[in-house]
Formats: sequence, structure tokens, C-alpha cells
Amino acid sequence: MKSREQEYKEIFIAEALEYFDALNRLISELEKKPQDDQVLAEIFRMLHNLKANAKAIGYLQISDVSHKLETAFGLIRNKELSFSDEVVGVLFDGIDLLGELIKSIDSEQQVEIDPVLIRNLDIIVDSLSDSTVELAKVQKFSTSRNLTLSDLIYIQVKKLDHLMNLVGELIIDRDRILSLSRELDNDELKMVSSHLYRITEDLQYSVMDARLVSIGTLFNKFPRVVRDISSAEKKEVNLELSGQDIQIDRNILQIMTDSLLHLVRNAITHGIEKPELRAKAGKPKAGSLQLSARSDRESVIITLTDDGKGIDVAKVKKAAVERHLVAADVADSLPDSEVYSFLFEPGFSLAKEVTEFSGRGVGLDVVKNAIDSIGGRIRIESEKGKGTSFILQLPTSIAVKGALLFEIDSIFYAIPLIHTDSVVALDKDELHEVGEVLVADIKGETVTVVYLDELLNMEESQMRLGDKTRLKGQVQNIIIVSYNNRKLGLIVDKLYRQQDIVVKPLSKPLDSIDLYGGVTLLGTGKVCLVLDVPAITKYFVNKR
Amino acid sequence: MKRILIVDDSFYMRTMLKNMLTDAGYEIVGEAPNGQTALELAKETNPDLITLDVILPDNTGLDVLKGIKAEQPDMKIVIVSAVGQEVIVNEALENGALSYIVKPFSEEKVLEVVKKALEE
Repeated sequence: MKSREQEYKEIFIAEALEYFDALNRLISELEKKPQDDQVLAEIFRMLHNLKANAKAIGYLQISDVSHKLETAFGLIRNKELSFSDEVVGVLFDGIDLLGELIKSIDSEQQVEIDPVLIRNLDIIVDSLSDSTVELAKVQKFSTSRNLTLSDLIYIQVKKLDHLMNLVGELIIDRDRILSLSRELDNDELKMVSSHLYRITEDLQYSVMDARLVSIGTLFNKFPRVVRDISSAEKKEVNLELSGQDIQIDRNILQIMTDSLLHLVRNAITHGIEKPELRAKAGKPKAGSLQLSARSDRESVIITLTDDGKGIDVAKVKKAAVERHLVAADVADSLPDSEVYSFLFEPGFSLAKEVTEFSGRGVGLDVVKNAIDSIGGRIRIESEKGKGTSFILQLPTSIAVKGALLFEIDSIFYAIPLIHTDSVVALDKDELHEVGEVLVADIKGETVTVVYLDELLNMEESQMRLGDKTRLKGQVQNIIIVSYNNRKLGLIVDKLYRQQDIVVKPLSKPLDSIDLYGGVTLLGTGKVCLVLDVPAITKYFVNKR
Repeated sequence: MKRILIVDDSFYMRTMLKNMLTDAGYEIVGEAPNGQTALELAKETNPDLITLDVILPDNTGLDVLKGIKAEQPDMKIVIVSAVGQEVIVNEALENGALSYIVKPFSEEKVLEVVKKALEE
């Protein structure tokens, strides 16, 4: 985790080393053309920046030496000091010393500054062009010259994405090799593949680490957003940010951008009251909105708190009952935290008016889906009249997996490639009803075939998995999955494509039969459930 | 939210200024590492305020100041300088700069000067 101090330090060192390299080049040029104004101006500018930056960050030795050198070059520029051999030697030494000091920032070693060198510099700076000045011989502190390149580089996100994708593909192949080594039962192959496993894992974490950015990159966009929305809503809102230094994966932050924007809009339009209402309620005229981040082990917790009117639990209950999400008598006994979870139901909204910023219809379910897609959680705390908090728990980083995407009833699902054996198309007539299931002969093997639409979308009591009449069309697309040497055919509506996906576990089981291993967000922004092949396989094993 | 353009040839200085200003709720519309880019960005982004370093690789800050003022006479410009550049700072103030910040600066000082300049 990089703090802002650490970031400043790295930037300082990287830039200082650039200046150091450039100074060496420029002073060599100056030796050939002693009165080149442009070169002198460049040297002057760099020493000047080095001095100011070092002073700002607190490296006083560097700022002190830069200052002396800057003064000396200033004298040369103003022709008050000639660029003579003797002087050149001292200036070279001074620049070398700067280099040593810059490089020593990151090492434990302290640089011993030769007092003779400092005295020589002082003589040059103080005595103007006095030719009688005696410059003492300086003991070279650095006899071996090292060439140093900057430690900091800038990189485009798409390059990191590409790297991450490659890691994802590597992981798929690694997993294949790993399972091959088990199948073949070859000890040498097992050893190599377990080593491969560790290295790719290490690689994956290193790439993940390189993708971390400060959460401030997103947070700092909100002052403007809040200002615009609140002025359109004719409300006064003070935004307070904290925890901008917390690090999070850049793409997680990207996925969360719209959700946070949505929550902030909601807080201003539906949470914080108009100034006159606030005054009546004895609150300060300006509402307060706090957006904060903190890290909690593997997670980043983002909290958005407003001091608005809070959520009316009774209203939510009423709306939930009207929508048949819950029976009236059950609703009465629910704790508030469970009542709030109705707000995440698709299309659930209490807002009566449509505004420019918070249109009706787009509910919190979109936010919930986005958070699910990265394996995060969201919960609400609220007190009527006092305000509301949205607490988002997000993973710090992401994991990649190769998956096969397919459609059932126009909804996308994914199956991890690691469990995918093959894909076949069979005529309906090749499927046979055997007991409660369908079976087919696939490459000489009798395989249980499951109509996924039925399995995923029907109540268990009404499920007729052995009934061929429920199938749509004549030709059936079947994905053969395998788990623990057991094969299962899954009938899907449409095969889509193979893709690396970022899988995150669901925050809670979706229903009593836990058939989903996680959830992902597709490039299109669509949420996609990832089937848990082991769980589905076990389900059918138990059924038999 | 007020929009600010940062002109400084040091990436370190730009980063510090950017962090200080964005933390305080300003929007940074651009960062220019030299005079040419500064002139272009000033025109392109038309910010509410420009922080202008006096020593730049291609022009002096003073040239940039005059260049911007010639095109955008009402542009609010705050000079960022170091100790020992009082002469340039004075000249900049005479040429329409509103105020100045001396490096090394504190966050409070930067925000105070910027806030005041924006209110003028």
C-alpha cells in the first residue's frame, strides 16, 4: 500500500535522477561552449527545481547543495564568474554529490559530504570572479561511476489490462497442465506444474499490485458533481472526503464509478432536504455528505453518509408488500436491515418525482449488481430524520478466470473453462427420458443432460428435468462439463463466446440450491452469473 | 467548482499542487510542463485560474503571463516562484498577475492565495 508520502518520495527521486542525468549532459556541453545561454538556462532551471522540490519534501542537504550550485551557475550566467577549469571541476563534483545524495534517499547509507567540496563551492559562490581564489583538492567520494535510470515509469491502463489478460490465459493453461499432470500421474510433470502454479500465482498478484490506484482519483471528481447536482436541486450540500490515499484496483474503481455517482445523486435528490425543510427540522441549512474510504484487511470500505431525511421503513415495507416481495404479516416482524434490502430489488423505488439527476426506474438494483459483479457487499444504515449511510465493502483486487459464456432466456451465464469438456449439438430425438433426467450417448458415454432453463428458473417442486416436451426447438446446444471425472450435459439456448472473466464470489447464497459459484461483469456492463459446476454436479449425484 | 490550470515544469511540483487543490475541491483542468503547452491549454480549457511557475524550459513565466493576458485579459493568474525571484514576481504583478506563492509552500498558503485570487 502506497501512502501519499511514499508516492511523493518516488516522484521526487525519479524526477531528481532525471535532472541529475540532464545536468551531467548539460555541464559537459557547457564545457565545450562555456557561454551558451540556453544550456546555462537549462542548468539553472533544473537546479532551481531540484532545490525547490527538495526543500518541499524536506531533503535539506539536496536543497542546500542545489542552492549553492544554482548560485554558482547564476554567477556564470551573469558573467560574474568565468567557467574556468578549476571552477568546472568543483561544479562537476557538486553535481556528482547531488547524484549521490539523491541515490542515497532510498538506501540506508548516509552520504558523507566532503567539507572541502562544500568549502570550494562556498568560495566560488561568495568570492565572485576572484582569480586568486585557492580551490582545495577534493577527495573524490565517488570513484566508480554508476549509470542510473529512473525507478519510476508511467504505463497505460490498457497495457496493464493486456498483462492481466495474459495472466488470465496463462492461468487457464496452467490449470489444464495441472489437471493433465494428475491424470497422467507423472511425478516429474506434477513437480513442474506445481512450480508453474506458484509462479503464475505470484505473477498474478504482482500484476494485481501494479494495477492499484489511489481511491482519490475517483473521490476527487465528486466535489464538482455534488456542486452541480445540489445547485440544480436548489439544495446546499457540503461534501467531506476522506481516505483518498487508500489503494484499490483501477478496474474495480472504474466499475464502482457509476454506482457511487448513483448513490451520491440519490443522497442529494432524495436524502438531503431542501434548506427550508432542514431549518424547520432544526438542522443546519446546508446538508452534509461524507464520502470516506478505509481499508480493512483484503477489502476497501467505502461509506457514503448523508444527514438527510433517512429511509422511511414503514414506506419500504408497504411498497414491498404491494409488490408481493413479502407477506404483510412477515414484513411487520422484519428487522430494519432486512427491510432495507428490498431497496435493492429490481425496479424498486420510492421516488415519486423524476428529476434531471435521479430519474425514476433506475433503482439501487443496478448498484447492487455492479457490487455483486466484483464480489463486494453493500448494506444500508439509516435513521428516520437523521440520515442514511451506504456501506460498500469492495475487494482490493480482482482475479481472472477463463469462461464460456452462454445465454438462457436472454440472460448471460458463464461456466469456468476449467470445468468445460466440450460443446455438442444434439437432435432432440437423441435425448432419452430416463427417470427424472434426460440422458444422451455422447462419444460412447452415457451422460446425464440437464435443461438449464428448467433447473435455474423453475421452483424445485415444479421442475420436470426428465420431460423432453419442455425443450425449445429441435437441435439442442449442450455444454459438456466435467467435475471429478463425472460428466454432465447442460442444455443452453445459445452459445456465446469464450472469454477471460473476473469472478467474484456471491455475498450470500442466491437460493437454497447453491448453483452459482460467483458473478462477473461483462465488457458490456451486463452482470453474468457464473455456474458452480461442482455444486451442480453434486446436486445431480445426490438426486440419483 | 472552480477550474484550475497548473503550469510548472516539475512533475513533483505539479503533483503536489494538484493534490492540494483537488483535495480542497478544485478541478484541475490541465497541467502544462512548458510555456507553449501553457498557452495552448489556457485557451483550450479557459480555466478560472492559472498557477504559473516563473521558470519554464521554453519561455519565462513572464512571457507566458503576457501571452495569456494578451488573449484572455481577465484571466486570473497566480505566480509560483522561489525565494530570490522577487524581481520577476514584481514584474509579473505589474503585468497583471493577482498574487504569488513562494516555494516551498504550505498547503494553507496555497489554498489561501488561490481562494483569495478567485474571489477578486
